[in-house]
Amino acid sequence: MVFIAMRIARAIAAVFFSALNCFAGGNVKDIGPKIPGQILEWNASGDDSVFNRKTLYDYMDGGAEVYLAYDFREVFVRRYVDSEENEIVLDIYDMGSPAEAYGIFSCDREDPPAGIGQGSEYGLGLLRFWRGSSFVAITVSGNEEKAEKAVLELGKAVASILGPDGPLPGMLDLLPKDGVQADKTSYFHNDVHLSNRYFVSSDNILNLDEKTACVFAEYVSKSGDSGRLLIIRYPDSAATQAAFASFRKSFLPEADANGAARTENKKWTMVKMRDNLVAVVFEGSSREYAGRLAETINRPPK
Amino acid sequence: MTTPMTRRNFIRGTTAAVLGASTMFGRTPAVQANKTRVILIRHPDALGADSAFNEPIIQQMLDAAVAKLLDQSDPVEAFKQLVKPEDIVGIKTNVWSFLPTPAPVEKAIKRRVLDAGVKEENVGLDDHNVRTNPIFLKATALINARPIRTHYLAGMSGCLKNYIMFGESQEFYHPDSCAALGSLFLLPQVKGKTRLNVLCALTPQFYGRGPHNFSRRYVWNYKGLIVGQDPVAVDTIGLQLIKAKRRKELGPAQELPPVPKHIQLADTRYGIGTSNLEQIELIKMGWLDDVMI
Repeated sequence: MVFIAMRIARAIAAVFFSALNCFAGGNVKDIGPKIPGQILEWNASGDDSVFNRKTLYDYMDGGAEVYLAYDFREVFVRRYVDSEENEIVLDIYDMGSPAEAYGIFSCDREDPPAGIGQGSEYGLGLLRFWRGSSFVAITVSGNEEKAEKAVLELGKAVASILGPDGPLPGMLDLLPKDGVQADKTSYFHNDVHLSNRYFVSSDNILNLDEKTACVFAEYVSKSGDSGRLLIIRYPDSAATQAAFASFRKSFLPEADANGAARTENKKWTMVKMRDNLVAVVFEGSSREYAGRLAETINRPPK
Repeated sequence: MTTPMTRRNFIRGTTAAVLGASTMFGRTPAVQANKTRVILIRHPDALGADSAFNEPIIQQMLDAAVAKLLDQSDPVEAFKQLVKPEDIVGIKTNVWSFLPTPAPVEKAIKRRVLDAGVKEENVGLDDHNVRTNPIFLKATALINARPIRTHYLAGMSGCLKNYIMFGESQEFYHPDSCAALGSLFLLPQVKGKTRLNVLCALTPQFYGRGPHNFSRRYVWNYKGLIVGQDPVAVDTIGLQLIKAKRRKELGPAQELPPVPKHIQLADTRYGIGTSNLEQIELIKMGWLDDVMI
């Protein structure tokens, strides 16, 4: 019941946030006039484009599923070119909610923060950030070093019109705070993203799909302990139990009564289940530390 | 009923499950009398200092690889074993804007197909329009050429995935980590026609990021071609290379691209080639610095 109440509360919050969103629930096709047509020596080139869930494949040859695995609605695309034909491509994705925007951002972090939006990173020709229900990627083709200043300027300009800020996924509240690596924390739904984040199995042994919500976080404690924690929320207890059983059978058949086993790399894996939640700890540095991480699902929700 | 390959299989070293052994996905194939030959050829000058492709060197590499593949001393004679003057030849290329099949590779293949006696009007080169291109509709022989890169869904894009444009719907082949890609080679337009597979490892991509899953940071100048008649064997070798590079650059935890299952399934489910390393004769030619596999 507690979790149902939490989900209802989150849905109400999402509706409320949509009403606040400055471009009407994230309709990116109306955003073009608000974005600068010139950034330093780069000028907008060609017509702006908008792609939706049905047409995203026309834009992305081989990458559409990354977005379709979230509640992606539309993407606005504008190209800028300079006199040397270096190109900057601006993508603004309406992800449907702040949680989904955070999610797509969180699954692909490698670079230092850029101080733009609610979370950002920049590295060699690629700026990524999120704000509200929007996720933004700005990509350079050509001279990345020359384009860096323009990319960051463009990012700041776009971020300023995407407000207001939105809430992080409620699932993050389940993560123990001590030792969590914020830039190694991801929110997603299905096994495509889990496999890219941390390969577990060639088959979907945790039964992840669009109805599941997952957080995956890496931990390094001050005492030197480490581990990786995956928490999954299933739509009902039957799905939870089925996934729990599937994982134990396929990945951890020798687990003891507490769901723990020491695996081939001398690290500890542990799986626990409560209500609609499953927690799996991979590569725990000790049994005790794995247990402390997994035990998080037994804490009362905030 | 198949057994999933897990991270634990990989750690145990039962990478039979990961790459080689077809037993992983459900059946044990009969041991083949003859191994499937795959050529890896590299040349230090295949790319210039500015990373521009060196067309004459790439022609030399293709010639040497195909000649060795078919135990011929002359590359034209080798190509004559692949295609006959009366053949209609479709060269399936790849136009992905970030990492297309290099034009010098396309030209090198076409040049030798013509040298083998095929009429120019009977040679076509295409990617997205292979289902409507008249040459491809009438093709009696196909040559499969594309770069190697990682792929968010399939784990790796290689020669098997290059034929997805022959499918009526690309989306049909996406579920379950693109598990059904091998079935493309059983389509009537394709079945039994592929004479040569050229997996371009001149500038492989070992990791994907960004909106189109491409960043120049994760591409390196390997300067190689992987060539064979069996697309499954060629991709199996290609995956070895991607894994080796990922291990070196990203660490052991990221050695595996997501789910490279379609390669094994092309063998065990669709029977179009071998993914068993023990059944593959890998011949390395040319420049061997940092060959990795």
